Amino acid sequence: MEAVLKIINISKDFVLHHQDGTRLQVLDHFSMEFFPGKITLLNGPSGAGKSTLLRMIYAGYRTCRGNIMVKHKDHFVDMVQASPATIYDIRLHTIGYVSQFLRVVPRVSALDTVIEPLIQRGVSESKAREKGRQILRRLRIPENLWHLSATTFSGGEQQRINLARGFIASYPIMLLDEPTASLDPDNRDTVLNLIKEAVRSGSCVIGVFHNQGDQEKIGGRAVDMTRKYFHPTEVEH
Amino acid sequence: MTGNVPDKSLPLLKVQNLSKFYGKNMGCHDINFELAEGEVIGVVGESGSGKSTLLKCIAGKINTTNGSVFFNSLYGFVDLCQCDELLLRQLTRTQIGYVTQNSVDGLRMNISAGGNIGERLMANGMRNYSQIRKIALEWLEKVEIETNRIDDLPTTFSGGMQQRLQIAANLVTDPKIILMDEPTSGLDVSVQARLIDVLRKLVSRLRLSMILVTHDLAVARMLSHRLYVMKEGKIVESGLSDQILDDPREPYTQLLVSSVLKP
Ligand SMILES: Nc1ncnc2c1ncn2[C@@H]1O[C@H](COP(=O)(O)OP(=O)(O)O)[C@@H](O)[C@H]1O
Ligand SMILES: [Mg+2]
Repeated sequence: MEAVLKIINISKDFVLHHQDGTRLQVLDHFSMEFFPGKITLLNGPSGAGKSTLLRMIYAGYRTCRGNIMVKHKDHFVDMVQASPATIYDIRLHTIGYVSQFLRVVPRVSALDTVIEPLIQRGVSESKAREKGRQILRRLRIPENLWHLSATTFSGGEQQRINLARGFIASYPIMLLDEPTASLDPDNRDTVLNLIKEAVRSGSCVIGVFHNQGDQEKIGGRAVDMTRKYFHPTEVEH
Repeated sequence: MTGNVPDKSLPLLKVQNLSKFYGKNMGCHDINFELAEGEVIGVVGESGSGKSTLLKCIAGKINTTNGSVFFNSLYGFVDLCQCDELLLRQLTRTQIGYVTQNSVDGLRMNISAGGNIGERLMANGMRNYSQIRKIALEWLEKVEIETNRIDDLPTTFSGGMQQRLQIAANLVTDPKIILMDEPTSGLDVSVQARLIDVLRKLVSRLRLSMILVTHDLAVARMLSHRLYVMKEGKIVESGLSDQILDDPREPYTQLLVSSVLKP
């Protein structure tokens, strides 16, 4: 099987110019390959660099050294050097990312927030809305909230809007940063099912889950992020 | 001037080595960037850093000291800093929109809202009064101004409405690009939210390109694909919006980002 994502020797430091120029080295020559239909759990305590790695793959954080090769429309593209236009396209079609918190835009309804990825892909408004309603129902967002802006929603509701938005379209690669953190057991199970369905349909999922139970239910390989260095041959698929 | 189709292999706008000095004072210095069709870039930085100067140079409102602003127009890849006055006026009247920070500079306060929208159409040769009025009404609706205000003077409008009227008056000729100078400054938060919402919708529906000058990083993030950070007339850092706001690299950008709450 061919990898859909090949991380080659990447490093990441943060230099905090206004805090005595402190240099934090988060990743040091990190290499790893990721495969379709497989799930990888990033483990380690807070501050280990789990979110940093996910954001680097998404090109939301810049990579100091190395390459992040993503299979995009049958070709490998290096996220570290790709043009902005290519990155927009990769984010639209190839890599989905569910952050820890929803970034709410005032005055945009929950339903519109959720269907935006489909609209951007050119799906018709009516089709997108139908899919939006389905996934909102599945994540137990009460129907009377759909037309409201998520600004006033509870943390758990916002996170479910975020998840609905993340899962409404399918992506070959999905990055999930603590997606189940603020959910009740029923919604937690729904999300785990959504993840399993994505994997079954061939997505490569890379996620952070603090809950031991969630990790066991999901399965997949686990990577200990307290180690900053990984040689490609070390981690089996 | 032959009516042509813009060359798609070229960017919509290319700013090259652009500098503007006010006497000995630097407005902006050695600015370089490109803008693609449908792309929104934000220019951030504190007041006095040269953001508005840069925008005015691109809008053809002031003469530049050095450099070029290439615009991929219907008449070819034109350098706005070199082209003749007539062509410049034609382009800035039709294909380039410019929304000023203070509405008094961008609107004619002594003519009605409908008149402000109609003016650009008439400048482009449209003469049919009822057609102009119909288009003006449509545009008022698009920017969420009640259509029964069409005959009112802009002086009777709130600040947010004046900004939205400016947007309508600029977009009515279907420009490829709109330049916005601090559109949300001085507006209440709820009024800002409405303006942002209107802008977001128009930009995506019309596949507009936009250069947004703002000191508000949250606004910049909501609207821009990419950001340029300016300090003392120069660009100190640029990148995708999340790269700049979540992973700022330069000392100045780190200061800017850390001095506000989670943009
Ligand atoms: N944008 C940033 N600027 C500076 N330091 C950062 C930034 N993002 C993360 N870090 C630092 O990098 C390290 C890893 O953080 P993070 O990736 O968030 O860890 P995790 O997700 O495993 O909790 C931490 O020391 C954190 O403080
Ligand atoms: Mg984290």
